[in-house]
Amino acid sequence: MPPALDITDLRYRYRASDEWILRIDRLSLDAGERVLVTGESGRGKSTLLHLIAGVLDIPRDAALGSGTIRVAGADLHALRGAARDRFRGQHLGMVFQTFNLLHGFTAVENVMTALLFSNIPSREHESRALALLERLGVERPGALPDELSVGQQQRVAVARALACEPAIVLADEPTASLDPARASEAMDLLVSACAERNAALVCVSHDPAMAERFERRECLNALADASAARTGGEDA
Amino acid sequence: MAITDLTIVRKSLTGRPLSTGVTVASVAVAVALMLTLLSLRDSGRQAFERGTGNVHLLISAEPSPLVSVLNSVYYANPPSNALPMALVEELRTSQPLEWAIPTQLGDSWRGSPTLATTPEFFTRFEPEIGEPWGFAEGRVFEAPFEVVAGAEVAHAFGLTLGQQLYLTHGSSARNGSSVEGHVHKEFTFTVVGILDPTGSAHDRALFTSVESSWVLHAHDRRLAALGPDIELTTVDDLTDADRLVTGVYARVLTRPGRQASSQVQAVFNAMRADPRVTVAQPAEQVRRLFEIVSNIDEVFLGMAAAVLASSGVSILLVLWLTMELRRRQIAVLRVLGASRGRVFGLIVTEAAIIGVAGAAVGVALAWVGGAVVSGVLASRLGIVVEPTLGWRVVASVAASTVTLAALAGLAPAISAYRTSVARNLKPLG
Repeated sequence: MPPALDITDLRYRYRASDEWILRIDRLSLDAGERVLVTGESGRGKSTLLHLIAGVLDIPRDAALGSGTIRVAGADLHALRGAARDRFRGQHLGMVFQTFNLLHGFTAVENVMTALLFSNIPSREHESRALALLERLGVERPGALPDELSVGQQQRVAVARALACEPAIVLADEPTASLDPARASEAMDLLVSACAERNAALVCVSHDPAMAERFERRECLNALADASAARTGGEDA
Repeated sequence: MAITDLTIVRKSLTGRPLSTGVTVASVAVAVALMLTLLSLRDSGRQAFERGTGNVHLLISAEPSPLVSVLNSVYYANPPSNALPMALVEELRTSQPLEWAIPTQLGDSWRGSPTLATTPEFFTRFEPEIGEPWGFAEGRVFEAPFEVVAGAEVAHAFGLTLGQQLYLTHGSSARNGSSVEGHVHKEFTFTVVGILDPTGSAHDRALFTSVESSWVLHAHDRRLAALGPDIELTTVDDLTDADRLVTGVYARVLTRPGRQASSQVQAVFNAMRADPRVTVAQPAEQVRRLFEIVSNIDEVFLGMAAAVLASSGVSILLVLWLTMELRRRQIAVLRVLGASRGRVFGLIVTEAAIIGVAGAAVGVALAWVGGAVVSGVLASRLGIVVEPTLGWRVVASVAASTVTLAALAGLAPAISAYRTSVARNLKPLG
């Protein structure tokens, strides 16, 4: 079984920047494994997630970026256009800091929207979504996001990320807008839900309290330093 | 029920009901305006063509053929010039006419024109080819001071058989607000017949014998000459100077069952050379009239097209402005697996649905609007216009509207297509 995530020789820099914002020689994650990615502000944590999700491209110009990102064995950046979007919908789930639930869509509709872009037959969408929401403790699946508490919104966001049985879930500061008690509860939910489905979890967070929940922790600064040390800064 | 692309479009539209409603309404008004104009243009021509029926030639002393037709067939105004009856008799014998029916206009009742004529008007003349007169009640007038009422005037004033009325000598405004002339209370007219509707201007007229009209006029003449103590004027008091007509409905001899004849043009040319008369071919004059008004028609159609185009612009603006608010939603859809092309399609579909809704409401409005306008035309002008919306016209306008709406959605759709997912998923780390 291929790794859920396999990053090799990733380099990425913004056009206006003189140095690599991301520099990772190797980062691999097996199915069901989870990793907490930390780093200073502006170190490219969200950029890494966007590259893994394929919503940012690895530049073709080697001076701006290079490397390979494989998700569930597939080279995501070798896929173009709709094929990459389809792959993302089927193999990746994302949880955002502000949840980014679709306004005007009920909780169950938010989850079903994710299923719209999957290979799962449409007749199963509603039952799957309802079952998942129930499993994650969403009490009012017919409620609009504005009618739900923050904690319930978080559960809907997790359900939406897991709806398509993804190989990997990317969580971008998933607890940043929650108080400590709720953050802990939300993280428990996210970790257990991913473990239950054998989905790998890449979580970006500033919150030091999150660290104890992850057997692996990767600091982007340290990864970049290690890479620079290995190459002697030749490609800086 | 599973979520589909149409669900996303529907939720987007219903999520901002005010802007969607206003945009749909602006499209609907433009579509309704265009359909109403198209509908009334066609049915207006048909309505104008009704009423001339099987008449080949209209003879009068009017200054122009068009005025002659407007006054003698559509009762626009009482004719200002008259022909002596002797001249009508001369034309009857000198030309190959199947019939020539004298008409005299100038009197009215409660604003409704009264056409004085002969019984042949009801037996030979047909207001629409193949559709002879029908009587809802009663019969044709047979003696002086008997009146037959057109369907509309009978309905409007609740006329019944046996009802007695006084004619006004002179013209009066249609709505009765400003009546000129004077009422002849010396002569009591009796309603003896009520006509079936014909869908022509004749429906708003009354009809009496030409002798009755001559007697009214002769009475005025005698009053002026002999003073107020004269006895009531009768047919016996008429002189040749009283026997005037304002028009003649004429039909040239044709083979049985044939409407056209090469003789018609020959008779027309011969009469046109006669300086004493103005001769008109009613169908030709109606065609000319529509040529004159077609320019105005085109201006209105141009305005309707401009309104439609502006509603397209409003679709573009509404979608463009909401696009700024929807970039995060688009980014989320992209993360969930929607391709750029699919997002593009969602926005174009949204614009097209505004077009579909606007077209549907517009067609409904056009039906109502057409009925209202035809009602106004019938009550104010006596022109019976039945608005007809052919399915081809409706389909063409609706298809054009939806296409225009979809085109208006292209710019916002391109903007959606180019939305940066990463930038719109902020806050970023």
